[in-house]
Amino acid sequence: MMWKLLLVVLTAGAFVAANAQVKTFPFAYTQQDLPNGLRLVTIPTDSPNLVTIYIVVQTGSRNEVEPGKTGFAHLFEHMMFRGTAKYPPEKYNQILQRAGAASNAFTSDDLTAFYTTFSKEDLAQILAMEADRFETLKYTPENFKTETGAVLGEYNKNSSDPEEKLDEVLHDTAFDLHTYKHTTMGFLKDVQDMPNQYDYSLKFFDRYYRPEYTTIVVAGDVDPKKVRTLVDRYWGNWKRGNYHPDIPVEPAQNGPRENKIDWPSPTLPLIDIAFHGPAYSDSDKDWAALDALATLAFGRNSDLYEKLVVREQKVDSLFANMSQSVDPNLFEVEARIKKAEDLPYVRTQILETIKKFQDDLVPAEKLSAVQSRERYGFTMQLDNSQSVAAAVTRYVALRRTPDTIDKLYALYSKLTPEDIRAAARKFFTGNNRTIVTLTGPAAGGGK
Amino acid sequence: MRTVTLPSKSLLVNVRIVFTTGAMMDPADKPGLAHLTAAMLAGGGTKDLTYKQVVDAMFPMAVSLNSQTDEEMTVFSGTTHVDNLPAYYKLVRSMLLDPGWREDDFKRIKDDTINSLRVGLRGNNDEELGKEVLYSTLYRGTPYGHYSLGTISAIEKMTLDDLKQFYKQHYTQSNLILGLAGGYPAAFLDEVKKDFAALPANDATPVSAIKPEAIDHTRALIVEKNTRSVAYSLGFPIDVKRGDPDYPALLLMQSYLGPHRMSGGRLFQRIREIRGINYGDYAYIEYFPRGMFLMEPSPNLARRSQIFQIWIRPVEPPAAAFTLRLAFFELDKLIQNGIPPEDFNRTKEFLTKYVNVLTKTKNAELGYAIDSLYYGIPDYNSYIKNGIAKLTVEQVNAAIRRHLRADRIQIVAVAANAEQLKKQLVGAGPTPIEYNSAKPAEILAEDKLVEKLDLGLRPMDVQIVSVASVFE
Repeated sequence: MMWKLLLVVLTAGAFVAANAQVKTFPFAYTQQDLPNGLRLVTIPTDSPNLVTIYIVVQTGSRNEVEPGKTGFAHLFEHMMFRGTAKYPPEKYNQILQRAGAASNAFTSDDLTAFYTTFSKEDLAQILAMEADRFETLKYTPENFKTETGAVLGEYNKNSSDPEEKLDEVLHDTAFDLHTYKHTTMGFLKDVQDMPNQYDYSLKFFDRYYRPEYTTIVVAGDVDPKKVRTLVDRYWGNWKRGNYHPDIPVEPAQNGPRENKIDWPSPTLPLIDIAFHGPAYSDSDKDWAALDALATLAFGRNSDLYEKLVVREQKVDSLFANMSQSVDPNLFEVEARIKKAEDLPYVRTQILETIKKFQDDLVPAEKLSAVQSRERYGFTMQLDNSQSVAAAVTRYVALRRTPDTIDKLYALYSKLTPEDIRAAARKFFTGNNRTIVTLTGPAAGGGK
Repeated sequence: MRTVTLPSKSLLVNVRIVFTTGAMMDPADKPGLAHLTAAMLAGGGTKDLTYKQVVDAMFPMAVSLNSQTDEEMTVFSGTTHVDNLPAYYKLVRSMLLDPGWREDDFKRIKDDTINSLRVGLRGNNDEELGKEVLYSTLYRGTPYGHYSLGTISAIEKMTLDDLKQFYKQHYTQSNLILGLAGGYPAAFLDEVKKDFAALPANDATPVSAIKPEAIDHTRALIVEKNTRSVAYSLGFPIDVKRGDPDYPALLLMQSYLGPHRMSGGRLFQRIREIRGINYGDYAYIEYFPRGMFLMEPSPNLARRSQIFQIWIRPVEPPAAAFTLRLAFFELDKLIQNGIPPEDFNRTKEFLTKYVNVLTKTKNAELGYAIDSLYYGIPDYNSYIKNGIAKLTVEQVNAAIRRHLRADRIQIVAVAANAEQLKKQLVGAGPTPIEYNSAKPAEILAEDKLVEKLDLGLRPMDVQIVSVASVFE
């Protein structure tokens, strides 16, 4: 069987200087496509005896296009552990146990990932078993309903955290049509209705658990040729699908929006100021510029952090984030305020900081410190097979290749103060803004 | 001063600087002092640099210095690229050896600690709250008898002089374990040793035995708060720690009954997988804080006294009483019947390989090596592999009978409607469960036994406290 083979050879261990040509992702890896559309990325790392596999399905809450079906990608992550004729759940778990494996799964806006770290001698067994569940998953309506209880349990364990609620309301307020309107967990009413959705669950599996949506990332003590042979053997007959979701395009926001959450128990007030931003890109500078701006304006060495957290001590947590998403998503600034009466002041301070980045150029040395931090921060996490595979997984969801990592970091290193200001001017407009606050009873519970 | 080193060719260097002191050394009227002292060192300025200057210096290197304070250990840890080791170490050295003790840093760190207790723990994390209340309750009257973060009222009263005094007394050469791993240059260890020789050479912190009071009857503490669901932690002290003869056997038991965040455990299978009651159910024989955020335990939480614990993740209120009974039922079954031989063999295989996952990073390996020094055992991987290899199923089941029990258990629940829950827990039920789908006859028959299982709780054994009073 002929595979399209792309071999990328990099210098293992090479570290990045402030040079766009140097690779940020320091491992040599192979990337191969099977005829059925499945992609395999194999990354040998110095992890004696250990192997990590991430199976990444490019399906997340973004794909939940039908009304009443929010949270379904996440539910399906759970269903994938409900077994097949060949490997019922009990047998599946026993094999993982015998492999001494650490195994789990997670879902986000853009992906569902299943991962396992284990001893290398069990590679063939694990690949065979994983292929079996991706191709022949089978569960009864009773098992389906039982698993929806575990998902409700997950909602419950998250529900005591006000930040989860803030995130839910922010997205619901900022978006009208696009599926980023709902969180990955989904709306409570939809989670509670999940037990009635058995038939839809079969449809979901049929649509998305297909080779063209899936990439297998293997990192650790492995030989790419042997991995390829095994993946070919166990995953080669998986049938390609033909479903393409019609994900609505979010129209331009036509005015500022606000929302307010009354939290039932004592907590500190939260404010989230968000703007619609760009989709992830490794070629256009806007996304990288806003990602850098999040750190420059609101990171731990920013002027505003120094003022609100260190000097005035009115805020105990301040951060910003440009969502790294397939489609355009939010740039968010979030602060936790010690006294409720300071909420308006903090809001003003954040908005003035945003204005400042639209008016002024950031000093070049500040930008260069952020560029250095991004590079070191990314590379320093790559100290074991699991974190290497995990880092790649995020980018697989976006571009289906680790290649995008070096492109992105090359783009970072080319950012100029003018790029930062231009992105601030383009995206931080009043019409594009949503503000959500959350406060507890009485004075907000702060002291 | 002791050292633990794991040199390698890595481009990273891991630093773990441990002082064998912690919350157990807090003065009785100053619970939280050890934690606040460590937090101040890791989160404040130095004699020469303000906190802002420290942050600015660390920022481009993407480094930090983190502190963790437990009962017997306080650790400062960080990782740097070897390129930046000289600059990073210079900061670490100043932070730990020449702290700035500034009032504005102190005020910020006090606020952060109080907010961690009031909002992070009491407000937002019912599960961790339940676990910490369990520990504080079981160790009442001993040096472990308060949560390491302390109490809000005590923290409010603490002064910088209290911290300086604690630092002077406990941050000594005798209490110090210097840990280094990765690609540091050969001469680096000597440089660090020489610098830290500036610490006072006082005797090591004296260690007293931890003797938790005996539990004569199962009892429950319900922390009442406005919350959607019911979170449980339950357990009792055990006389087994790393290095003791029964440790490998109990670790194997834990891996069978409820390995952390894994789907193969018995509790997970019976409560979540078959019945769909909640998100997960696990068992522990060592302190494991922040389990909802971590897949593997943090090292350097070594303790001379440990508890056996079951963690039941939040349950919908109508199923709450049944679920607690089910956990008791499974515990009793484990003690009565032991681990079945086929499960024993598989669990043994699991543990033998899984220790490699626990120490998959150099940083974790270093942390485990420091703990092994503290416990007086060989390196953790070979200690476990050798300890497990020799075990028979009979030995493990005997150890289970020796150390575990299904009565005289401390239960902690975090729940709304505490009185209603209390009513359901005292007496012999029944508190049946309703499912949203058909269940096999075997499960329904078992449920009939579970729903009226007597927890051994009398009304006088159930105490209700308001969340606002916890760690106040």
